[in-house]
Amino acid sequence: MDGASRIVAGLEAGGVTLAAAVPDTWIGALTAAARRSPRLRVVDAAREEEAVAIACGAALAGGRGAALMQNAGLLNCGGVLASLVELYRIPCVLVVSCRGDWRDPVYYHAPKGRVTEATLAAWRLPWIHADRTGDLTAQVRRCVDFAVESRGAFVLLISGEDLA
Amino acid sequence: MTPRRAYLDALVAHLGPGDVLVSGLGANARWLPHLPVRAPVFALCDAMGAAIPLALGVALTRPGRRVVALEGDGALLMSPNVLATVAAARPANLTCVLWANGRYESSGGQPLPDAPVDWVALARAAGIAHAERIGDAPGLGAALARLRTVRTPALLVLDVLFDPAEEIPPYSERPEEIRARFRL
Repeated sequence: MDGASRIVAGLEAGGVTLAAAVPDTWIGALTAAARRSPRLRVVDAAREEEAVAIACGAALAGGRGAALMQNAGLLNCGGVLASLVELYRIPCVLVVSCRGDWRDPVYYHAPKGRVTEATLAAWRLPWIHADRTGDLTAQVRRCVDFAVESRGAFVLLISGEDLA
Repeated sequence: MTPRRAYLDALVAHLGPGDVLVSGLGANARWLPHLPVRAPVFALCDAMGAAIPLALGVALTRPGRRVVALEGDGALLMSPNVLATVAAARPANLTCVLWANGRYESSGGQPLPDAPVDWVALARAAGIAHAERIGDAPGLGAALARLRTVRTPALLVLDVLFDPAEEIPPYSERPEEIRARFRL
């Protein structure tokens, strides 16, 4: 099973019913794997704030929602994370491709890579980097569990290597 | 031009306990706790622009319930892309009601950018085939009734009077109360 499928298996194991996605190269591969799941409804969103709100709507309606996006999109989401997810305490797991970190030395991604972790810290959001050398499915499931238990957001940062 | 309360009264009269109402921030969210709404209500006090995508997530998760989303034209102007997202997702049970008065009413009634946005045309261009403009409260009630048999997403654009003297009640419910009471 490739990494993308293991991440999807983790979402399924966590009871996620809907994944709203805005693709980049890596998230596109993850979304393609999600579409093969009989247990996940994939919603193509035009913008990342929408994806977060759609996932929250699924949670409010009794399902569980995830939002899939690049870190450029995550950086767009400060408002909706504060004023919807945190204010109303809605579980929402975000799977975010972390472009521009040390594993992704592309000059135009680098500025995003430099600020992603610092932004998450400033927003006081819990997050981890996926560890593909470990049980990726279990890691994703724990991210979902954390979001549900804490009634808030949890961010899983992934690299292209994690999808292989 | 029709005042807000006339539209709200028509909306509330139409909704039943099997429906779901999601409201964007502002005057509608502030009025709703004071009205006899029979449907579960999730009203935002912030998160400008989130009402329609939030309602989309609800609608897709609960396809057996009619979901009505209330949004203002200022909020939708910030994120009109959501029209394409809704069109692509094709929820058969989602009706979006756009309150168009050309003002950022929550922040003091400042005018929107001075452009003649045709919301019906924009919605249709984005792929929402059922979009219509409504000019009075009976028209809203009739349109909502018609849409119960339509199995595609819809946008109703209400021409709403901007009344600077409208005595809009303050927010009277905390988010945690709204969240706790919203049970489907």
